[in-house]
Amino acid sequence: MKILATILLFSSLLFGYQIGDKIDSDIKEKLSIEDDKIYIIDFFASWCPSCEKEMPYISKVNELIDKDKVEIIGVGVDEDVKKGEEFVKRVKANFKIVNDPKSNIIKKFDPIGMPALYFIKKDVVVASIIGAKDDIDKIILNKLKDLK
Amino acid sequence: MRVLILIGALFIFNGCAIKNVKAWEKETLAKNTMKTGGVNTLLKKFENHVYFSKEASKGGGGVAGGGCGCN
Repeated sequence: MKILATILLFSSLLFGYQIGDKIDSDIKEKLSIEDDKIYIIDFFASWCPSCEKEMPYISKVNELIDKDKVEIIGVGVDEDVKKGEEFVKRVKANFKIVNDPKSNIIKKFDPIGMPALYFIKKDVVVASIIGAKDDIDKIILNKLKDLK
Repeated sequence: MRVLILIGALFIFNGCAIKNVKAWEKETLAKNTMKTGGVNTLLKKFENHVYFSKEASKGGGGVAGGGCGCN
């Protein structure tokens, strides 16, 4: 019983954040997350073709959302920050970008694939979308409707 | 003595443990040179066509996943 309790306690450390998990204060700090908004965290890399395909749709969502209530933060996981910055310029991302060259942020989320989107509300992971999806803009907007 | 051997064995066999490649570590796997057909996928296509003509069967030459782990 004790072993099971310990496993459950450390499960977030082993598997990354799951839906319902509270994010750590250092991650909050690195992403400048406050309690007043819903945050969409988009993990991407310059070498990920699906991320490139998805980026314009996320930029489109960023134009449609109420910025006082929702914020999109892109997290570039390229080891070479320059490559990541060139990628962001190429795809013309119109939202805030945070570089994570040492993978400190993504390690905590530990997605099984990329692109990976996490929805955070009041410091808690409330939803996630992993992998490339058709009409991702519509999926995101529908998720936001459910979360409000 | 047995305990020492066991600990030693654990250290030795630890090197054989399979380490999962995380989603953000797949940059090299996402390169064109890592594709099933190599850089020139057209050559692989022709090769597959010849194989299909000779064997009357195709597929099974690749693996699922790889790259960035996208769908």
